[in-house]
Amino acid sequence: MQKLATREDLETTRRQLLLDRKKTDKTIIICGGTGCKASRSQDVIDAINQELLMQEMDATVNLRVTGCHGFCEQGPIMVIEPGNIFYCHVTPDDAHDIVSRTLRDGEIIEKLLYTDPVTGEKIRTESEIPFYTAQDRQLLSRNREINPCSIDDYIAVGGYMALVKVIDSLSPEEIIHEIKVSGLRGRGGGGFPTGRKWAECYEAPGDEKYVICNADEGDPGAYMDRCVLEGNPYLVIEGMTIGAYAVGAKKGYIYVRNEYPLAVKHARLAVQQARKTGLLGEDILGSSFSFDVEVARGGGAFVCGESTALMASLEGKVGEPRPKDVHTVVDGLWHKPTILNNVETWANVPAIILNGADSFASKGTKGSKGTKILALTGRIKNTGLVEVAMGTPIRTVVFDIGGGAINGKAIKAVQTGGPSGGCLPVDKFDLPVDFDVLYEAGSMVGSGGMVVMDESSCMVDVAKYFLTFLQDESCGMCVPCRLGIDRMLEIITDITEGRGTMEQIDLLEDLADTVTQTSLCGLGKTAANPVLSTLRYFREEYETHINDKKCPAGVCKALIEYSIDPEKCTGCGRCKQACIHDAISGEKKEPHVISPELCQKCGICLSECKHEAIQVK
Amino acid sequence: MLHYVTVNIDGAIIKAPKGSSVLEVAIEYGICIPHLCHVPGLSDIGACRLCIVERVTNGRSQVTTSCTLKVQEGMVIRTNTDRIKRLRHNIAELLVAEAPNSRAIQDIAVRCGVKKVRYPFRNSNCVLCGRCVRACAEIWHANALGFVGRGKNRHVERPLNMREEFCKQCDYCIQLCPMTIPPCDGPMKPGEEYLCGKCESQLMITEEVPDSCAWCRLGEGFNCGRYAGLKAVR
Repeated sequence: MQKLATREDLETTRRQLLLDRKKTDKTIIICGGTGCKASRSQDVIDAINQELLMQEMDATVNLRVTGCHGFCEQGPIMVIEPGNIFYCHVTPDDAHDIVSRTLRDGEIIEKLLYTDPVTGEKIRTESEIPFYTAQDRQLLSRNREINPCSIDDYIAVGGYMALVKVIDSLSPEEIIHEIKVSGLRGRGGGGFPTGRKWAECYEAPGDEKYVICNADEGDPGAYMDRCVLEGNPYLVIEGMTIGAYAVGAKKGYIYVRNEYPLAVKHARLAVQQARKTGLLGEDILGSSFSFDVEVARGGGAFVCGESTALMASLEGKVGEPRPKDVHTVVDGLWHKPTILNNVETWANVPAIILNGADSFASKGTKGSKGTKILALTGRIKNTGLVEVAMGTPIRTVVFDIGGGAINGKAIKAVQTGGPSGGCLPVDKFDLPVDFDVLYEAGSMVGSGGMVVMDESSCMVDVAKYFLTFLQDESCGMCVPCRLGIDRMLEIITDITEGRGTMEQIDLLEDLADTVTQTSLCGLGKTAANPVLSTLRYFREEYETHINDKKCPAGVCKALIEYSIDPEKCTGCGRCKQACIHDAISGEKKEPHVISPELCQKCGICLSECKHEAIQVK
Repeated sequence: MLHYVTVNIDGAIIKAPKGSSVLEVAIEYGICIPHLCHVPGLSDIGACRLCIVERVTNGRSQVTTSCTLKVQEGMVIRTNTDRIKRLRHNIAELLVAEAPNSRAIQDIAVRCGVKKVRYPFRNSNCVLCGRCVRACAEIWHANALGFVGRGKNRHVERPLNMREEFCKQCDYCIQLCPMTIPPCDGPMKPGEEYLCGKCESQLMITEEVPDSCAWCRLGEGFNCGRYAGLKAVR
């Protein structure tokens, strides 16, 4: 594409691109996000491409490979326009039928349609799927409109209009005012008001300033940032450009973890294309404003998601946090004023500028505005990325969007906010997704991870899991975080292995409080949340582990015993065959017995038994 | 020309040179805040967290390390509140449980009021205070020592564990190391560690420590004059 020298050039290009788009009347949208790629969507894309060529339809059908649509569990997924036909679990073998029957003849292939797990009905269009209808997809819906490797697509759907508005008519003060009024808060976990951050950086002395996009997302089970950066990197870059214009920065960085190869690739490509079209670089769109972005890769440390550690890593130092007695908006990257925002925060900026702060602030609660992307996982029917307006009750997310419990077990809790967040019991499910409310309840919105747990999860074990994760990921610099997490894990391990005492619970609480109050960085300050929240809501589970030496959920190996119910056992011998420790004995058609000495509690027999005869106590 | 700001530390109104840290100012004026990783002349990293204080702003108090906190005009600091004492006690307890085999750490624990250690002892050889690493890098610019690893695996190592020639043999790392002086009764064997709680040891280089700490009742208050130069009496 030609370099766009002025704002008029951009408009002309946009009109031309829209005209070009009208030439093809049919569009087939296939997800090429990491989730669908994992279920072999690349093979499907290749097969469809070949079929289009073979059936000579490549001129009339537009094949668009997009970023993540959110419903990763059903991947590879495909939407055919017009008609909004939604196909899921597509295989390369289906390519011929899809092209000849659906694209040519407009016939719908029943077996590829989505089946609602709640009602069991086949659903034809994307817009009717309950998983989507209960959401408010402001950011995610834009993913399906564009090919993330094509800046043309982004411009055609109205990209960079916000930047034009900024350059044409807004002063830095007006932009910052707009962001402030919108009530946008940091989506990375802290929930700090973005407008205030920008204002402080704008007022900070110094000519050299930086903007950073934090895409070092490391929470287990969360992938909101990856999806946005992979699916729509231009949106993030446009947001960053506006931010840079507002605070007076000339250089920006996207710090993305190297474990997201597709996000790295797309971000780099987007930067290159934006440079080529003159949307990054010197004198952007004929103004005197210059700004450039560099993509930096993270080396795999969770702690580098913390702002000061991230900056140290960008500077080429070891990624360790430093004290924030002076905020990074004044003393940040290379000791220069810096604004660091999360991917999702940046992605929200263009819409706020374009549609006004009021339209953004019209969604959400008093303290939390707009929408939030959540990564919904765990023991529910529908998993994937979900975007809801702030203030939506957790119940709606888990039961209406998530479709409720899988396998008929009762849902017990939801873990929100990743390792920094906490577990909320089912009687707190009426709480809204809101920064302040969830914080009050001992958890947090965090970056948006949401892991649903049912009766088969032991809450002590959950706390142990997160502590193990944090122990590995703590940088080890300060004492409370390094030794505190270690000792908390030691105590919890004692409890799960039957050596716990009631005094240890008091010690655990005291220690958790010390770690929270005295740690150096955000990782340490929130590290005790999984322990504190499970102690707050599931104290009786801890007490059962200690007093009765029992694990109610049957998870903690030292406290459980496998046995066979002789009433239910038919003597089929499946378990005996499956047991890799030779711990099961018994004659054919006679009830079998598990030897407690030999049993390693691996649980294979439990999953093999067809008669529910294996008991875990 | 030195600029001065007025700060309030534990009620004492102190004129302090701009750019100095709260810890330096407090020690200079005889308000002793226990600390481990801070060494005068070296950069502060806030690793040991023993020097935590409460900073009061608009009626809200915030816990922060005094070594990394620079003085500002009108700053109000509380070094010895119940909250700080409890937190400091817990941190010192973590430290002594990790490395009971050091007189310095034992001493800090006693001074912070640790009477009983609630965790199993571990007998490590290093508490990762980073004194040696910073001294090596900042005084002699030798960079012969550095931190390697993350979290539980963090340890002090030579570059690539092989470049011995970087070391200029200044011995400063050994002088500064809090682990070099064993407890009075000799080194404790693994499994037989205990909180000795008897002696006053030396944390800093010997010359700067007065003979005894008569002004300080062990474990309470930290008005000790070990950094000779008691300028303000509270």
